[in-house]
Amino acid sequence: MAERSGDLVIEGLVKLFEGGVRAVDDVSITIRQGEFVTLLGPSGCGKTTTLNCVAGLERPDAGRIAVGGDVLTDMSRRVVLPPERRDLGMVFQSYALWPHMTVHDNLAYGLRLRNVPRAETESRIKATLDLVELAGLEKRYPYQLSGGQQQRVALARAVVAQPRVLLLDEPLSNLDAKVRERARFWLRDLQRRLGITAVYVTHDQAEALAISDRVAVMSAGRVLQYAPPSDIYERPSSRFVAEFIGRSSFLRGEVVRVASGRAEVRLAGSGTIVSAASTAAGTAPGDHVILAVRSERIDMHGENAAENVVRARIKSYVYAGAEYEYILDTPEGELRASSQRAVSGPDVRLHLPPDGIVVLQDEAPSA
Amino acid sequence: MLSDRLYERDKTFTLANYALVLQSTELRDTLATTVAFAVATTMLSVALGVLFAVLLTRTDLPGRRFLHDIVILPFYVSPLVLAFAWAIVYGPSGFATIGVGTILGLPTWQLYTVGGMAVVAAVYFVPYSYLYATGSLALTDPQLEDASRIAGAGPFRTLWSITLPLLRPAILSGTLLTLVSTVELLSIPLVLGQPVGVQVLATFLYGTATRSTPNDYGIVAATSVAMLVGITLLVWLQTRITGPERRYVTVGGKAIRGRVVALGAMRWPVSALLWLYIAAGVALPLLGIFAQASTSFLTPLVNPLELLTLDNFKQIFEQPAYVGSIRNSLIIATVGGLLATVFIAFAVLVTNRSDFPLRGALAYVALYPRAIPGIIVGIGFLWTMLLIPGLGGIRNTLIALTVAFTVRFLPIGFGAVMPSVLRISGELDRASRVAGASWLTTMRAILVPLLRPALASAFVLLFVSFLKEYASALFLVAGGSEVIGTTMIEFWRQGNSGPVAALAATQLVLTLVAIVVGQRLLGARLRG
Repeated sequence: MAERSGDLVIEGLVKLFEGGVRAVDDVSITIRQGEFVTLLGPSGCGKTTTLNCVAGLERPDAGRIAVGGDVLTDMSRRVVLPPERRDLGMVFQSYALWPHMTVHDNLAYGLRLRNVPRAETESRIKATLDLVELAGLEKRYPYQLSGGQQQRVALARAVVAQPRVLLLDEPLSNLDAKVRERARFWLRDLQRRLGITAVYVTHDQAEALAISDRVAVMSAGRVLQYAPPSDIYERPSSRFVAEFIGRSSFLRGEVVRVASGRAEVRLAGSGTIVSAASTAAGTAPGDHVILAVRSERIDMHGENAAENVVRARIKSYVYAGAEYEYILDTPEGELRASSQRAVSGPDVRLHLPPDGIVVLQDEAPSA
Repeated sequence: MLSDRLYERDKTFTLANYALVLQSTELRDTLATTVAFAVATTMLSVALGVLFAVLLTRTDLPGRRFLHDIVILPFYVSPLVLAFAWAIVYGPSGFATIGVGTILGLPTWQLYTVGGMAVVAAVYFVPYSYLYATGSLALTDPQLEDASRIAGAGPFRTLWSITLPLLRPAILSGTLLTLVSTVELLSIPLVLGQPVGVQVLATFLYGTATRSTPNDYGIVAATSVAMLVGITLLVWLQTRITGPERRYVTVGGKAIRGRVVALGAMRWPVSALLWLYIAAGVALPLLGIFAQASTSFLTPLVNPLELLTLDNFKQIFEQPAYVGSIRNSLIIATVGGLLATVFIAFAVLVTNRSDFPLRGALAYVALYPRAIPGIIVGIGFLWTMLLIPGLGGIRNTLIALTVAFTVRFLPIGFGAVMPSVLRISGELDRASRVAGASWLTTMRAILVPLLRPALASAFVLLFVSFLKEYASALFLVAGGSEVIGTTMIEFWRQGNSGPVAALAATQLVLTLVAIVVGQRLLGARLRG
């Protein structure tokens, strides 16, 4: 899409670590103005390094980063603006509240550096603390605040100078599980009200899906898929994405027919033919593919289904409150499925609904 | 010590000794000099130590690792040796003084003054605040500095507004430790102040106690107690001020090294100044020791190569008594150091890993000696052995010295081991106990092996400390039990600077060997 004013554009970003490891390997994404984008991936996937390159805390080896028309980093021209000249806000994982300053002074620091007049400084601090519901705590030191309050002070400090982009590096990971879930809603709500562009880094897939406009799933320094959360969940583009997000089972097979977006696939174990509604472009008969199925999409009460049926035997199960989780033995290998009702076993018929099956190219056919 | 302080010859309780102390104008002058000396030393050494720490950990100064090793070098050198070294090079007839004054005809300096003493003492104490500051910088969450950059502050503004204020607890600890250590410091005032009548409390105590007319014991004891109270107060103040600094405890973030600030054009001038300090303050004086030791007379007026001689070393190594002092130092450092390490391991494990009801008190007792000046430890031990029947037998033996040195350096050993113990999760102990091991077995099979590097460091530190210790030995040695430090002082009082330098050189070489061997073979980690 066309670059608009205020968009954050990352192009061809590469960061090498000692020993030649490509921590960030040719990352290109555009984040639209006012959009909330999450970089999601396991530890070591390069998401924090990417964020630090945007912040100017790390110097990439190649690539270009710009906000609107302003170039922040352009390695082809050896331009790397220092962090203090990028006009960004950032919330750190440790919050990084300066322990020798009060809440007020933590917020005032950036405003003073921008020569904001005293009266305006005070009114902006007050308005921002109101926004994060911490009015009245100006004189406290960070150690006198709870974890949740510290997190909100860190956020207030990051936005008080009205930066162009807000960067968040796992800001919720130090909070208790309950507080964290509430903080998601609260953070998302705040970002919408401010209308600020936000780049959020996390390894928590549930958090990423809940909070983002778009998610960039990263692995080994690359962006594997960059799409809205529902697409990431419903139509993963690779086995890694399907595996990393939610709980999926994988079945091997060979495509026998492709017609009007649907594919018929012969399963490798039993030879059963199943049809799948979601097919990547270019899938052709004879392709070796992997079928990904979400465990909650497998219907364990498939006694009456006519097609897309796989026979299975219950190997073990656990009760997880909202549902029962099963591990099943099938001719196609081990599958995982969940059901809200207990299933009487041990032999069951599984129905795999066509629109619950994602056809992926088999990256390693013989593995 | 108490009984001598409180009872007169006819053994009656008296406070007259305190009155004597207060009335003496000599003592009041001494006190004023001590305060001036301590304050000047502290200000200079803390300023340099913190500056070096920031430069060497937070900037792109060339050769930082090497400079780090050199800056902390005085920590391993006896202050007595450093005092001799400075006297040899910068004293009234020192090599550099004559060189600058007589040959170049430039104005020179007065080393034998309170200011001169403070400069030498500052060089000796720089590692204290330097190590405190680098330790604190290593623990500071680098994201605090990143956050400042993001907020719009440049690198130097960040150093000034964030990095330095965060060092406040470390600076305070360094300041108080240096203050306390300067007040108790005997060697530098003894070598540089005594010849011209500049007297501080430590030299006063030493002078009065060695004159040793029975009447003076009361004054010595009273002064000692006053000094102890003052120093204890300072130490208490330090724990009070730095102990509950929860403000400075930050939520742990990712362990990444702090970012390095590019000095740009200032890189080379700053580097040159630092090298100048090292050359003039540390390298040149220590070279002077070796030069003096291997010449008959050290002066810039004659080419030293023409005066090369081994006489100084011969004088030492041909006299059984002097060889004996080197042997004694080595025995105490090795055997005593080992015993002290074992004791420290046991004490640390009991205080940290047992239910022993008095473990808190034990930790306090182990750490208290840092408040006791070495000379007072010596006097205290001497009197204890004189007063308690049965202990007289070990007086003037290496056993007495080993015990006194151990008491004096317990805090150093404790400090080397304690952080490692705290880092080992208590669950490891509990797992071993649940598996069926007793407390003692758990300590032996789990904790001690995990602490091996820390214990090795403690041993090397104690070895070096025992090797260079002289103050507490002054009152405990007699014919046959001298150590290097006491023999050096003896030579110095006789005006024989050649043999002093030879002994000092020997001590320096032994120390260096101990550090290298300790790091290579024992895996001791001594870098801060």
